[in-house]
Amino acid sequence: MTQPQSASRPPSPPRVGLFVTCLVDAMRPSVGFAALKLLRDAGCRVEVPEAQTCCGQPAFNSGDTADTAVLARRFIEAFEPYDYVVAPSGSCVGMTRAHYVEALADDPAWAERARRLADRTYELMSFLVDVMHFTPAGVKLDATVTYHDSCSGLRELGVYAQPRALLDSVSGLSLMPLEGNDVCCGFGGTFCVKYPAISNAVVAEKADAIDRSGARLLLGGDLGCLMNMAGKLKRKGSRVRAFHAAEVLAGMGDGPAIGEER
Amino acid sequence: MQEAPMSFKARAERALADPTLKLAIDRTTGTAERKRAVAMTQFPQFEAARECGKRIKDHVIAHLDHYLLEFERNAIASGAKVHWARTAEEASQIVVSLCRQAGAKRVTRVKSMLGEEIGLPHALDEAGIERVETDLAEHIVQLGGDRPSHIVWPSMHRTREQVSEMFKRSHRAPHREETIEAMVDSARRELRDKFLSADVAISGANFLVADTGATCTVTNEGNAELTTTPPRVHIVTAGIEKLVPTTAHAFAMLRLLVRSATGADVTQYTTFHCGPKQPGDRDGPEEFHIVLVDNGRTRMLREGLKEMLRCIRCGACMNHCVVFRQLGGHVYGGTYPGPMGAVLTPVFDGLKSSRDLPHACTLNGKCQEVCPVDIPLPTLLRGWRDRSWREGLEPASMRVGMGLFTFVASRPRLYRLATAVAIRVMRLFSRGGTVRGMPGLGAWTAHREFPAPAERSFMAMYKDLEKGQ
Amino acid sequence: MTARDTILNAVRLGLTTPGVDPAAIRREAAALLVDPAARRPSLLSDSLVDAFIARVTSPKVAATAERIGTATELPDVVRRYLESRQLPAVVALQPAAILQSLDWSGFEKHDRVAADETIAVGVARWAIAETGSLVFHSDAETPILANFLPLHHVVLLRANTVLAYLEDYAAATAGQRPPRNVNIITGASGTTDIEGSLVLGAHGPRYLHVVIVDEHSALDEAQITA
Ligand code: SF4
Repeated sequence: MTQPQSASRPPSPPRVGLFVTCLVDAMRPSVGFAALKLLRDAGCRVEVPEAQTCCGQPAFNSGDTADTAVLARRFIEAFEPYDYVVAPSGSCVGMTRAHYVEALADDPAWAERARRLADRTYELMSFLVDVMHFTPAGVKLDATVTYHDSCSGLRELGVYAQPRALLDSVSGLSLMPLEGNDVCCGFGGTFCVKYPAISNAVVAEKADAIDRSGARLLLGGDLGCLMNMAGKLKRKGSRVRAFHAAEVLAGMGDGPAIGEER
Repeated sequence: MQEAPMSFKARAERALADPTLKLAIDRTTGTAERKRAVAMTQFPQFEAARECGKRIKDHVIAHLDHYLLEFERNAIASGAKVHWARTAEEASQIVVSLCRQAGAKRVTRVKSMLGEEIGLPHALDEAGIERVETDLAEHIVQLGGDRPSHIVWPSMHRTREQVSEMFKRSHRAPHREETIEAMVDSARRELRDKFLSADVAISGANFLVADTGATCTVTNEGNAELTTTPPRVHIVTAGIEKLVPTTAHAFAMLRLLVRSATGADVTQYTTFHCGPKQPGDRDGPEEFHIVLVDNGRTRMLREGLKEMLRCIRCGACMNHCVVFRQLGGHVYGGTYPGPMGAVLTPVFDGLKSSRDLPHACTLNGKCQEVCPVDIPLPTLLRGWRDRSWREGLEPASMRVGMGLFTFVASRPRLYRLATAVAIRVMRLFSRGGTVRGMPGLGAWTAHREFPAPAERSFMAMYKDLEKGQ
Repeated sequence: MTARDTILNAVRLGLTTPGVDPAAIRREAAALLVDPAARRPSLLSDSLVDAFIARVTSPKVAATAERIGTATELPDVVRRYLESRQLPAVVALQPAAILQSLDWSGFEKHDRVAADETIAVGVARWAIAETGSLVFHSDAETPILANFLPLHHVVLLRANTVLAYLEDYAAATAGQRPPRNVNIITGASGTTDIEGSLVLGAHGPRYLHVVIVDEHSALDEAQITA
């Protein structure tokens, strides 16, 4: 692997706890394996803690702070031993980085542990670029792609340039601009099933914009949003196929897309 | 409000089924969004200005008692009469009785969201006082007999065709040409003599300047000054959070407000009102009243909504909200729509009747990003969800479901088992990579496909791999 | 308890530190406004008058402007303005000494602005280069309605009264008793209330023409400091 050594590079090899997220675990394991491969390629010692389940975001966003706190404590216990915690999702990382402290506010000792863990928790692509200074090598995919910036990653974590920088290293790939790339797709976790009609109107506009981009593939960094958009694209008969960006970066872009038979 | 008995979801569905409404929303909010974006590129100092604006508001709120008293003292010194109102009812009753004391037959009103909040249009109508709305949009709302649907463009929900029809029906000398210019002219002709013949003028305030006792109003049409100058009495109603220390602080806020609202640098008319007509003045009212309104604001101060008191009512949050842009303003059911309305309406109307508002949001954060005073709207909305949960307002199915999920998710081995079962079930309903007709998934699959899961979970496959190594 | 006391008590209950020394609050408020340059847009030109003209005639403000050497040229400017629009030579003249002292022969002039007045000629106290705004104060020479009733508003502006920023106006008037009305006027009246499309002349003037006079006489000086 050829990559520039940087002064800010962590003591190698860092021990990374991979949180695959509950959605990737149950619905699309390939995203987890892609993350695993990318982190290993970047020179990390990756472990996947057995005790991981869900970060508690559905409970938090439903206003159920007590249950959130239960899951937050579990998460902290599972991931505290690692140098870094990495997940292929802006929204789960946003949850642990930005909101665990809020959810545990009543319990100063746990809030402090949450704060310390938050500083070491990263969204996959920002970790690869900002911490590991990693560039994937030898990945090829002949495709026109467009990129949706999922809201939590973009606004809570500032993930914008990193996926683009990584995708830039994939040969044959050309990135088409997406009108409203930073506009919410209407997923919103439980929102999409609590208010299905509103969610549908939002994702319908998003799917139209994706079609107008002229790209053949839709990429993003959050499986929830991707399932929402892919599901809508398929329902409207669009030919655009959707992948998690990590899959493309790990060289799995020629496999079945989200919602395709495997 | 004729739609009160309808549920939020029913109102939402009705709005979603109205393509004319969607067209109207897109035209206005789309233009606003584009113009704001251009204004931002021309104002690279925005972030610094925003930080300053936020700190000005926080400073005022932290010393609100001091500023209220300073303002009151200076306003009285300028000859104004200052009134205080705890509630919406108290505020509108003060205004109505001032109108009665003035023997008012006709009052002219300048658009003010606070006036809507305290139910002023209704109170004046009830009191049998002729009310003339002079802002073009409010004039349209009055003719249409409905309510504002946006805080900056109250008649955003009307297309030009609808406006044309209303004007033709009710104006004395309506337009003949079907252009927006001709319609604006028609309103100009219609309202002109009403401005000059009113007994009382009522307006709101964008800023209350503590060190001069002046109230400041920003408008574009010129109706505000035409409204507030001729009558004998001018009444200003304002929320207690509108204070700024000095005129210079008002200007710092003004730069943020106008760019965020319309994309202009300043409004066409920025007017400071300080007391009644002075000796020698050529025109102006003989009496000048200011009604300072609490209506829940001190409660917000105590109940974790302090940051919401920074709001300068620019409307940017709604213009950029994916939900508002599908629904428009009426669906929200309160005075204020969009993200800021979803935070405020539970304060005014109670959480029980408005619990849908903080929930009907994807928490995507765009509203906070564009808010010129950096109000953490998503956090405040989640705060209402938290309260709704604690107060038992969430449906039992939700509470039981979340409890069960947490029980399972805090026991990794049980969770693995549950995941395996869920995958099995979903795959039973899968065809061609898609889950079809599975009970419980209807809310999703009514509108989009649900991708089928892989055969086994990541954790199961990973475990096997580990073993194999 | 009065509503006033109830509200003030409720405010104090909600504050973390009520009853701070007023002088400390004033210092804190003033400190918020330090380093104004970092928070406001840059001017369109180094010359205040040029910056003002560039802004007031920009598409955003959409007024028109011209410069003259002395105020005595104003009646000619107005005559040409009316002729080019084929309007009769009837003007409402703001009752300001500087305007009344000019030679308006050939005009039918009056000083009460009618509800459907076609054109009024006025004089601004200041202008703001930052925004292309004109500033008026209500007084014995300045009826507020004269700024809002006419269809055409022609405004005389002395070049030396152009201020750079809005705050400079606040500084110029600090400590004075405020007039009943301060109008900061930026362009003609407009509305975007029907489908967001901009139409000028909503209720106020449809046209704003600014005439900037470079020289100023002793009379002008007296006006400015009045
Ligand atoms: S919350 Fe912010 S963006 Fe929304 S109206 Fe208030 S100030 Fe404007």
